[in-house]
Amino acid sequence: MTAMPIALYIEQIVNGLVAGSMYALVGGGIALIYGTMRVLNMAHGEFYMMGGYAAFYLVGRSVPPVLAIPLVAGLLFLVGAAVQRLTVHYLLRQDGWLFACIAATLGLSIAFQNLALIVFGEDYKTVPYYVEGILRLGDIRLPLQRVLMLLVAVGTLLAMGFLLKKTRFGWALRATSQDSDAASVCGIPVSRVHMITFGLSAALGGVAGAMLAPIYSVSPWMGLPVLFKGFVVVVLGGLGSFPGAIVGGLLLGIVEALGVQITSAEWRDVFGFALMIVVVWARPWGLFGKAP
Amino acid sequence: MFQPLRLNALLTAVVAALVVLGLPLLGVGSYVLHVMILIMIFAIFAVAYNLVTGYLGLKTFGHHAFFGLGAYGSALISIHLGIGAWASLWIGAALAAAFGLFIGLPILRIKSMAHVAVVTLAFAEIVRLSCSNLKGLTRGELGLWGIPAFQALHLPLVGEVVFSPANKIGYYYLAALLLGMTLLATAVILRSKIGLAILAIRDGEDAAESLGVNLTRIKLGVFAVSAFMVGVAGAFYAHYVGILTPSAAIGADLMILVIAMVLVGGLGTFAGPLVGAVLLTSSAESLRFLDQYRLLVYGGLIVLIVLFAPRGLASLRLPGRRVPERPA
Repeated sequence: MTAMPIALYIEQIVNGLVAGSMYALVGGGIALIYGTMRVLNMAHGEFYMMGGYAAFYLVGRSVPPVLAIPLVAGLLFLVGAAVQRLTVHYLLRQDGWLFACIAATLGLSIAFQNLALIVFGEDYKTVPYYVEGILRLGDIRLPLQRVLMLLVAVGTLLAMGFLLKKTRFGWALRATSQDSDAASVCGIPVSRVHMITFGLSAALGGVAGAMLAPIYSVSPWMGLPVLFKGFVVVVLGGLGSFPGAIVGGLLLGIVEALGVQITSAEWRDVFGFALMIVVVWARPWGLFGKAP
Repeated sequence: MFQPLRLNALLTAVVAALVVLGLPLLGVGSYVLHVMILIMIFAIFAVAYNLVTGYLGLKTFGHHAFFGLGAYGSALISIHLGIGAWASLWIGAALAAAFGLFIGLPILRIKSMAHVAVVTLAFAEIVRLSCSNLKGLTRGELGLWGIPAFQALHLPLVGEVVFSPANKIGYYYLAALLLGMTLLATAVILRSKIGLAILAIRDGEDAAESLGVNLTRIKLGVFAVSAFMVGVAGAFYAHYVGILTPSAAIGADLMILVIAMVLVGGLGTFAGPLVGAVLLTSSAESLRFLDQYRLLVYGGLIVLIVLFAPRGLASLRLPGRRVPERPA
């Protein structure tokens, strides 16, 4: 390990950044929903899983990836919006809605997983790389697929940032997350904002699933580990903060990539979870946020 | 919870106890006894989960960790230290309770339900990953087998009671005894002053604290007691089935099943977890031919119950029933 050339370390860090950009997409989706609705969406991993399957079937029908990825995002937007409208929308009005939403999305997660198991079967499906080839920068070798993942993640997150900061819908969303009653008084259609937010979050998860599908195989159970990673990311960044989730995602990606060099891969998740519990214990508002 | 036991409730309890105790005397088959034993294991788990989530109002999603800790703890102790299952059961449960205290500490500081949910889930995932990675000790997903059964007992009047896969009557009465003890302990806790404090914490933490309720002590204590009960259920399960895998004994499926049971029966009601355990376990067994749809049904059921009957079936208004307490 000590004799490892510096280029290998840089390669690991870059790989960590690529993985981290995907965690940021997943975590960003969780943060968006929690920030706007205070709902911890346990079914978020299944949006990621659906994104994987959608990519598998679209690319399998020789739809070019340039077209397939936006299609996946659009499809998942509709799924997410429908899920919100049919379940969470009603739950938000209940007494004890906090627990009701967690329990209901947990139930949805199990239902979606097993629906996928019945519809798509239990075999692991593989998706071909969207781009072949390797990028060489000096001693550093990087498959173009990973470069593409990074570009898509950055592009998606920039678009989300633009949407949140510069558009009327973004203002409405941020107003709703600050105080939904006040936003409603100002004429913001809070229910519709909630629905669109859920759709956007599902689209983010779906894009991550579609981009990671060539790296990991697609299966009904692929969502759960990613959901847990997403939780670690949002807790590190401060639950409900979209920029926090991005920073948290990149941080987790790099820490994991370097950690695997030091310890074995099977303990990687244990360290991630332990780190998260320590952060919750010491700084429940996240690593970068301010104490309330 | 605080009214004296009414005649109806008392009669229901006595009849239920008589049915449970009398069932083996009717000469039912080994399969029926097996299903009943599973129901009772799940009932202990559900009652203990309900104590923390329904009564104390601490919404945890990681109680399957304690089931696994009790199961693996008791199994490993009885295999490696040569201590009989009768003693290792309690040691395994104590181990679960100790971990309950340990994970209870960070949870105490958190007011946000989402953080509690994430931390407890992550804790259970750490326990599961550890059990499947420590292959030298637990054999990982290959399964830990050769877990000794309970030694035969010589009881006065009854004679020798054996515990073997062929003769489930011993296990049946032991499970019934453990469930009875769990219910009794829960009832005693809830009807004591501590029970009042528990409900006060659920309904208004700050108000309870201002009236002198020691939040730290009550929360940690209840969490540990609940972990102990789940640990007992896990340890009994280990010695009953004789083989453990991390995914079966600490899998998230287990927690989801118990959450479904408690929600179906009614969160924060005394009979709810029992009703849920009976309904879901027996329906799962009678719908064996629908095996691949089982988890789909549970998932859908949780959603439907939360949407349309948030207080569960046990608290639906029946003629002659008092209006149920407000759930948390």
